[in-house]
Amino acid sequence: MGNASEKNTLYPNERNPQPEQRHDSSLKGAFVSVLLLGGFIALTWFGVFALFLARN
Amino acid sequence: MHLHRLEKIWLGIGFSMLCLFLLVLGIMSLTMGMAPPGGHHQSIDPAKVRETAPFDKPMLKKIGENEYEAVFLAYAFGYEPHKMEVPAGATVHFIITSPDVVHGFEIPGTNVNTMVLPGEVSHVTHTFDTPGEYLILCNEYCGAGHEYMMTTIIVK
Repeated sequence: MGNASEKNTLYPNERNPQPEQRHDSSLKGAFVSVLLLGGFIALTWFGVFALFLARN
Repeated sequence: MHLHRLEKIWLGIGFSMLCLFLLVLGIMSLTMGMAPPGGHHQSIDPAKVRETAPFDKPMLKKIGENEYEAVFLAYAFGYEPHKMEVPAGATVHFIITSPDVVHGFEIPGTNVNTMVLPGEVSHVTHTFDTPGEYLILCNEYCGAGHEYMMTTIIVK
C-alpha cells in the first residue's frame, strides 16, 4: 500500500519539482549539413536539366 | 507545435525547391511537349508484327517539309531498316516495336531513349540539327547478341 509518509518526506536527492530548464541542442550543424545536401540536389538537378536541354 | 527557426528556414527552402522543380517540369511537359516518351498507347500482336502495317515494311517515309516518319523493327539482334539517311534539321518520328523480346532504342547524345516492348508500339521524336553519324543502340538486355545490337542513322 502507498506509504502515507512518501508524500510528506522528500529524499535528499530529490528537488522540488520545478519546470526543467530547456536548453535546445544547437541545430546549426544540422542546418549547414542539410544546406549542403540541398545544394548538391539543386546543382545536380540543374546539371541534368541542362544536359536534357542540350540534347534536345 | 514548436518549430525551431532553422527548421522553418530549411522547410521553406526544401518546399520552394520542390515547387520550382515541379513547375519547370510541368510547364515543359504540358505546354511544350517536352516529356519522356509515353502517352501514345498503341498495342499490337507481337506474333503478327511482321504482317501488320506499318511494320511489314520498316522504312523511312517523308511526311512533310523536313519531317519524316521512321518505322523501325527491333528484333534479336538488330534493327530494321539497317541504314537510314536524313538531311540535317530533319524531325524524325520514330515508331518502333518488337516481334520477340524487350529491347531498347537509344541514340546516345540525344534524348531518344525508350524501351521497345513486344505488344506495344513506342513513339519518340527527335530533330537532328547537327550532321553526323548517330548510333542507335539496344540498352535493354535481350539475349546472347545484345551487345552487338545496333544500327546507324546518317544525318547529312
